Amino acid sequence: MKTCIALLAKGACFLALLGALLLTASFLFMPKNNHKTFGVGSDELFAGGILGERDHSIDVLVVGDSEAYSSISPMQMWAEHGFTSYLCSTSAQPLYDSHRFLRQALERQSPKVVILETNAIFRPYTFNDYLLSRAKSLFSVLRYHDRWKALTVNDLSGPMGYTWTDDLKGYRYNNKVAAADARRHMQPTDQMKEIPLLNINCLQDMLDLCEKHGTQLVLVSTPSTLNWNYARHNRIAAFAAEHGLPYLDLNLMPDKVPIDWKTDTRDKGDHLNYRGAVKVTAYLGQYLKQTFTLPDNRPSAAYNSWNEALKRYRSTYANPQFRQAP
Amino acid sequence: MASYCSLLYLGIFLPAVVLCYAVLPQRHRWKVLLAASYVFFWMVSGKLIVFLLVSSFSLHHFGLWLSAVQEERNRMLAAVDKAERKAIQATFQRRLRRILLFALLLYIGTLLTLKYAAFFSVNLNRLLDALRLPLSLPIPAFVLPIGISFYTLQAAAYLIDVYRGAIRADRNLGRLMLFLGFFPQIMEGPICRYEQTALPLWEGRPLTWRNLTFGMQRILFGMMKKIVIADRLNILIKNVFSTPTAFDGGVTALAMVCYTCQLYMEFSGTMDVVIGSAEIFGLRLPENFRQPFFSTSIQEFWMRWHITLGAWFKDYIFYPLSMSGPLKKLTSAARRRLGSHFGPLLAGSFALLAVWLCNGLWHGAGWQYIFFGLYHFALILCGSLTAPLSRRVADTLHINRDAIPYRVFCIVRTALLVCVGELFFRAEGLRAGLSMFRRMITDFSLRSFTDGAFLGLGMDGHDFFITAVAVLLVFAVGALRERGIPIRETVARQHIAIRWSVYYSAILFVVIFGAYGVGYVPVDPIYAAF
Repeated sequence: MKTCIALLAKGACFLALLGALLLTASFLFMPKNNHKTFGVGSDELFAGGILGERDHSIDVLVVGDSEAYSSISPMQMWAEHGFTSYLCSTSAQPLYDSHRFLRQALERQSPKVVILETNAIFRPYTFNDYLLSRAKSLFSVLRYHDRWKALTVNDLSGPMGYTWTDDLKGYRYNNKVAAADARRHMQPTDQMKEIPLLNINCLQDMLDLCEKHGTQLVLVSTPSTLNWNYARHNRIAAFAAEHGLPYLDLNLMPDKVPIDWKTDTRDKGDHLNYRGAVKVTAYLGQYLKQTFTLPDNRPSAAYNSWNEALKRYRSTYANPQFRQAP
Repeated sequence: MASYCSLLYLGIFLPAVVLCYAVLPQRHRWKVLLAASYVFFWMVSGKLIVFLLVSSFSLHHFGLWLSAVQEERNRMLAAVDKAERKAIQATFQRRLRRILLFALLLYIGTLLTLKYAAFFSVNLNRLLDALRLPLSLPIPAFVLPIGISFYTLQAAAYLIDVYRGAIRADRNLGRLMLFLGFFPQIMEGPICRYEQTALPLWEGRPLTWRNLTFGMQRILFGMMKKIVIADRLNILIKNVFSTPTAFDGGVTALAMVCYTCQLYMEFSGTMDVVIGSAEIFGLRLPENFRQPFFSTSIQEFWMRWHITLGAWFKDYIFYPLSMSGPLKKLTSAARRRLGSHFGPLLAGSFALLAVWLCNGLWHGAGWQYIFFGLYHFALILCGSLTAPLSRRVADTLHINRDAIPYRVFCIVRTALLVCVGELFFRAEGLRAGLSMFRRMITDFSLRSFTDGAFLGLGMDGHDFFITAVAVLLVFAVGALRERGIPIRETVARQHIAIRWSVYYSAILFVVIFGAYGVGYVPVDPIYAAF
């Protein structure tokens, strides 16, 4: 028995020391700022720009995959309605990453509304992916280990600070046009597309988190002929009804969001381009403003940086070039 | 659970099994391993678990059937006098052979149908088309249960051994199911024999600190090979092999060497994880690799690479064919005419050809795999045929064949020949392989290396550097093993501070320099697809 206890103690010591080493390595490898020159990957760069926003200054938070960052423009909503919003969206974002971004954002922000773009809800992932994501949250060396190629002396002792934010607030400008064939888009059916079990658990966790922070979760399906269909709509509508969540399927609102699939998509219906995003944002901004009585912050001096960013945003979309990462 | 190197396997599944194994009394431990094996198989292959179940039940049945006939034969032989024995023996031998053939047909037939039906249909359709016959076969698309190529060979070996009387048929269904489906080896082998693993698995040997630490050491070393080296090379290899005509011969040669390295690191790394997992439960699985790149000939290479597959082909294809009546007669006739070196070689080459055809086909349904098998057959045959000549040349030129420079020359020559074989093995079809090989000969250039273009193929300078460091580490460990130095025991004997420092360094090396996360595409378990 004594030997057994000694061995267990030895094993526990080994693991404790390993944990301490991993935490130390995590500190070393963690980017010391949220700008790409500090080693933040290009996809997480835009979503991570929220860390540079003033605490408790964001009214609407959006999580989701590329459908979100192609369809919703926070700067347009700022210009038209004066409330602040930010997109924590990344390419092919799995739902556990939506949850992670939400958790991370709610540590320093208190948005009144959280929008989840629903395409991510149907993206399957394995339990192993989920475990890895949790492990990465615990030991960030697992997420940023590849920074060994660019470590500097500053990484040893440099203070942590988030000073960069994105002028477009997570939106990614694209003005390419590649027309889609939308003749069979949203054909009515009674079928329901199943949500993977792991995603349902994750959705429940997100719901609980929003409830805990007193924020309203809204489900939004942005227009996409390739990714969205009626079976998916039915499932999300049922889920929203079951949990009392507001649900907007913009694929079924041609009178309010009049997408022209010949001109408003950049890749044959997979994502919207800038023209499409303007239409989606115009309706969504109005809906949010009216439904959740969001404030107009434009006159406030505390939001000067947003007015400055708006000027730069306008100059960006006036110039039809692909947006480059800062 | 797509891989033995996944967090789910190493962080949850394996520790949970070890914990259950540890807390249960010894007589119930085999049940933990059996349940874990079936859960593992279900997690990987889902409802295809039915194939493993049917294989296990039928194996049990066929074994007992063979055993019953053997017992009946023995009873009858004991009851009759010597004169009648031969006839009885022959009668029973025919019955036993029929049962064995029926069982083997069932197993091999299932494997052939699931794995090769599409390949045969496609090629038959091409033939019919060439003959302008208005016929065409449907091309089936079956889903393969994981590890079928491995457990089918284990099942066949068990039945043949029972038939030969080398082992007794097992009456215990649970033991047989565990032997066939033991979770660490089900995906990629090693291909075990019944007498190697069935009883040790059944015994439920106690967990010991030594087994636990040694098993984890081995797992860590395997992860280093897989995650730091094999996965890092993946993007470059994919880029070059998916567009074979886009690169000059220099880049093609680089990709060829990288793929050979990747294949070895992925497969031997997975084997380290597999053998390490089994070692935790006190089970020594047979080794599949013994420093293959220290081989001085292709023949020796295949005695060090995928050893358990080679041994299976040797025991169940090469020897039975070599010892068959027609080949024995041919050997005698050839020996009389061609002498004692070339005579047996000629006859043996028929058995060798069968082995290498099977070896090629076992790896996959494609002409490139058949070519791969025949390529190695030709190299081995050439090596044997020219052995007297090369000995004579070496003696004439006073070359010391045991001297280090000559051995290094042989090692490098063997490695290059292996790399060429792997080029065809990896190429997306035989035609692509031939085109890449031609490009290496006719369009060889170092331009991509001098202008730095090779750094844009998916690996930058840092990647090449860390890969080289890891490969040198594996090479150093291999060199020490070649000299018979027991590295793991040496580390285990050190003071705890040194020992733990080594372990922590190894873990951090994998964590920091592993090729995982954003920007990397991990290589799927290569041999699990065979």
